Amino acid sequence: MRSAHLLCAALSWPLLAAHALAAPPLPPEHLTIERLPPPSRHWVYVYDEVFDNEIDARVYLYDGDSHRRLGQISAGFYTSVSLSPDGATTAVAATYFARGSHGARTDVVEFTDNTTLTVTHEIVVPGKRAEAGPSLFNLAYSVDGHFLYAAYMTPAASFGVLDPAAGTVLGEIDTAGCVLVIPSGRYRVSSLCESGRLLTVTLDAQGRELARTMSDPFFNADIDPVFVQGIPTNRGYLFLSFLGEVHDIDFSAEQPAFAAAWSLLGPAEKGHWRPGAYQVGAIHKELGRLYVPMHEGGEGTHKDGGTEIWVYDLATHRRLARWPVKVQGLSRTIAVQVSQDPAPILFAATESGDLAVFDALTGRLRHIDKHAAQSPWMLLNP
Amino acid sequence: MMGTFDQLLERSTRSLAQRTSRRSLLASLGQLLTGAALLPLLPVDRASRAHAAAAKADSPESCEYWKYCAIDGFLCSCCGGTSSSCPPGTASSPISWVGTCHNSADGRDYIVSYNDCCGKSTCANCDCNRNEREKPIYRPSRNNDLNWCMANADVNYHCTVSVILGVAEK
Repeated sequence: MRSAHLLCAALSWPLLAAHALAAPPLPPEHLTIERLPPPSRHWVYVYDEVFDNEIDARVYLYDGDSHRRLGQISAGFYTSVSLSPDGATTAVAATYFARGSHGARTDVVEFTDNTTLTVTHEIVVPGKRAEAGPSLFNLAYSVDGHFLYAAYMTPAASFGVLDPAAGTVLGEIDTAGCVLVIPSGRYRVSSLCESGRLLTVTLDAQGRELARTMSDPFFNADIDPVFVQGIPTNRGYLFLSFLGEVHDIDFSAEQPAFAAAWSLLGPAEKGHWRPGAYQVGAIHKELGRLYVPMHEGGEGTHKDGGTEIWVYDLATHRRLARWPVKVQGLSRTIAVQVSQDPAPILFAATESGDLAVFDALTGRLRHIDKHAAQSPWMLLNP
Repeated sequence: MMGTFDQLLERSTRSLAQRTSRRSLLASLGQLLTGAALLPLLPVDRASRAHAAAAKADSPESCEYWKYCAIDGFLCSCCGGTSSSCPPGTASSPISWVGTCHNSADGRDYIVSYNDCCGKSTCANCDCNRNEREKPIYRPSRNNDLNWCMANADVNYHCTVSVILGVAEK
């Protein structure tokens, strides 16, 4: 057999050699650095916590149309991420160690220009950052982008007020046991309290406290806690509870206003199905559609991802669709995000690290990017 | 070094005092004392070691092990430590979250402290995420997403242990 192969190779060699000589040589290449295309509303920023190697978190920029990763922002240890209101900047708050995995701690907020993915400047902040699970409220811009608020926890709770343009820390506001930074109005910051209330602190234009108020309780942490992963609406945020209650809170006035809670579940589903994920919902604001990863399970399954994505109309509270993800070959959905354009796409990150792209109007699966990330715990878009 | 540690401990103790009511502090101390009194009687860890070849749920290297009912992290048992000791060269966190876990071997519920072991990068072995009675960050004493190495001199997270504090009061 071996001699037969050798004979064939010997006979075909002159033909191959002639073909190679006839083709023009490849031109020399010039090493360049790729530039990002113009921003698209179908871009999504994928926060990868990299749980197996937490000192090396990162944010991937992904295009939901071309299904390509466009670039990366480095993100250090126990990271919080926030996009500026105009979408031009990604702020990343992270901890770094002097010797890589150990040594002196430096906490820093780094600002990345989203048109080039280069870091433009940074603010060194006190080593008090809340090193917490993913949420839009670990680090958040004021509505006008003038301030950046950073949640602190030592475990005493407070927050830092930063000036992103000047690159300075303006001060620290004690929140007396209430946590996280939910921005609203010009300079209001609300925090979730163990008592089920919202603390709201109003700041002046220099970032100093002007006033604080405490709301009535809107949930019971013992009976049915709310996920801290609030979902932006046109007038505030929507908070889901472990058992599937929907708390729609209007933050547009001086005090938060609470609409009557409603349930994601019908009578037959209560006690069987519940929401669960690291990022537990997304809303298309103009269409008024809510997307929630849902699963069958009981106490302690609130971080289990969804086996289905349920779609709701926010005006009528009616469920519009159930989209099973398992039949699409996907593992459980642990984070969702939807683009805010008239032809929206729904991004779903899975527990096995895949990133799926759906038509957000029909649920049709467009693409799966296998192993897009190790721990894709939050998806952001402007 | 001791000065730094003392300062850290003082700071975390003061912080705890700032956000904890006297009643809840007394209740917690009561639970702790109950646990301390019963600690010498607890056969649990030794029992599981004695039956190393038994079902997977009896192994401290299994995520199904009863003490891990509210853990979220890497099991120190798989990283050079045990279910209640940190691996060599790491530092234990002085603060922690707690869970209440049922031990089917003796039919009792136990208060378990989940302390992180700190100062090295993630162990990345035996990832275990269980969330019975786990609560969001606004109830920090029951939250397993926080980096509980936060008050250590070196806040890098390596793995998590589960230490029995005592029998849970019914």
